[in-house]
Amino acid sequence: MKMAFAIEARRLKKVYDGRTKALDGVDLQVSPSEVFALLGPNGSGKTTLMRILTTQFGPTSGEARNFGLDVVKSGREVRRMIGYVPQETSVWADISGFENLLIYSKIYGVPSSRRRKNIQDALSSMGLDEVATRMVKTYSGGMVRRLEIACALLVKPKILFLDEPTIGLDPSARKAVWENLTTFKKEYGTTVFFNTHYMDEADLYSDEIAIIDRGKIVKSGTPSELKHSLGSEILRFHFNFNHANSNHDGSDGIGEGALVAVKSLGFVRDAVISDSMLDVFVEDGETALPKIVEALITEGASIERISAARPTLDDVFLRYAGNISFGRGGG
Amino acid sequence: MTAKDSLREMFAMIELEMRRLRHDRTEIYTRAVQPILWLAVFGTVMSEVRGIPTGDMPYIDYITPGVLLQSTIFVSVFYGLTIVWERETGILKRLLVAPASRSAVVVGRSIASGVRAVVQALIIFPVAILLGVRFVPNPLYIAAAFLVLFLVSGGFAALSIFVASLMKTRERFMGLGQALIMPLFFASNALYPIELMPPALQRIAVLNPLTYAVDATRGLLISGDLSGLAVDVFAIIVFDVAIFAVASVSFRKIIE
Repeated sequence: MKMAFAIEARRLKKVYDGRTKALDGVDLQVSPSEVFALLGPNGSGKTTLMRILTTQFGPTSGEARNFGLDVVKSGREVRRMIGYVPQETSVWADISGFENLLIYSKIYGVPSSRRRKNIQDALSSMGLDEVATRMVKTYSGGMVRRLEIACALLVKPKILFLDEPTIGLDPSARKAVWENLTTFKKEYGTTVFFNTHYMDEADLYSDEIAIIDRGKIVKSGTPSELKHSLGSEILRFHFNFNHANSNHDGSDGIGEGALVAVKSLGFVRDAVISDSMLDVFVEDGETALPKIVEALITEGASIERISAARPTLDDVFLRYAGNISFGRGGG
Repeated sequence: MTAKDSLREMFAMIELEMRRLRHDRTEIYTRAVQPILWLAVFGTVMSEVRGIPTGDMPYIDYITPGVLLQSTIFVSVFYGLTIVWERETGILKRLLVAPASRSAVVVGRSIASGVRAVVQALIIFPVAILLGVRFVPNPLYIAAAFLVLFLVSGGFAALSIFVASLMKTRERFMGLGQALIMPLFFASNALYPIELMPPALQRIAVLNPLTYAVDATRGLLISGDLSGLAVDVFAIIVFDVAIFAVASVSFRKIIE
């Protein structure tokens, strides 16, 4: 028998009120002990997917399993082995951090013999030992978030679900959250599934990334696979507005004709127009550049500046989930 | 296993409420002001006027059970606000991902609110004694009255959670909560005997759970007449069971 995935979703669909399609056939696999990042623009279905995986409501069709257990049929068993931190605040501000952990440990059914130890472990995992007795309303945003994660660690979950774990935090608080999480993960081998907007976080901390757009997974792979999928180099052309080709009502004065011409060049992996720039993804920039320039000038474009860069996850995100991408529809 | 999980969650909810109270009791004190004014001003004045026939019972004694109940039910009816707030934050989502059943959230929160309500009544009780209200001098009767108070407050908290699951926003909830509480109080036997009401209002009063709670606590605390107690307690339990069921079912709606 093959090993069960930590998380597995098949043809998952969710339609709200018979109209709004939040998920449109999501297929997804996460291996045990992996850190998995789900990237997507606002309203792409990230949170809906997480709420289904954490058994808050069922899908309209399709199925999802955590370690082989169906999230609908075996919801109770699933809830016993997962930890979940929603995007919004999920601790009580009018009691202390320790009391929050105590109440949550009782709600989650941590046996009384292990309660003190688990609370202590969770506090030190998240670096909160010193502030445990303070009222939560005196905490900083980063401390609140770490306390919320600590609450989810009480049950020593097999999977930890984090919905936008560092949203609204300053860079040093974000770093603290991730450093604590990484240490915890190393110690317990927990599978971590998180939603985020921050590309750098996904790049730095995840083993695997999936990009979701309009309720579908549009691309997945390791961070370096995703970056390489765009070719090894990006040539970025900035155009001169005043002399730009004005035959087309396309975006910001760059003609669609230019885009088509560039894309038809054999060595071009892909090309994307955003604002007044054209990004061309190629393997070998040095030989590609003269031919692209020639094609652009033939189309009447007036180039102001050219720069070259290695693809970042931002480029990957814009390519697969960006709104101005003309390359949509390709795998 | 399910029952155990659910019970544990209910106790955790009660503990949460007690811990919150320990940190901040302001709300309990400020909420005691209005009922104390009802007793001290309205009760005292109407006792002098003797405008409402209450037999041998002084008017202030007559309304004490109703005022105690009103203060506790106030706490319960606005308990839904906590739920609306927890819906806006992530707490409800998180509770749904706990192993206990969803009805345990509703019942647990309702019972927790009942406990808070009893604490509220315990603050008003000594004030009533100071104002000269003569209670039945039997600790068992008084304990039983507080149990009735607890039962009916839990029921109203569940009603409040039910309303919260329909209203979903603070503003709408406040509107309905305010609209609910006064008619509830006036269309009951809290301030005057049912026989004095116009027939239409009498029919409403008979369906009002508060009427039974007032009757039961008045018997236990003031008159010592327990002839209606069995029916009263039965009515309250029917109300509780029904509203817990309805609130548990509708609670699903609040999360989507």
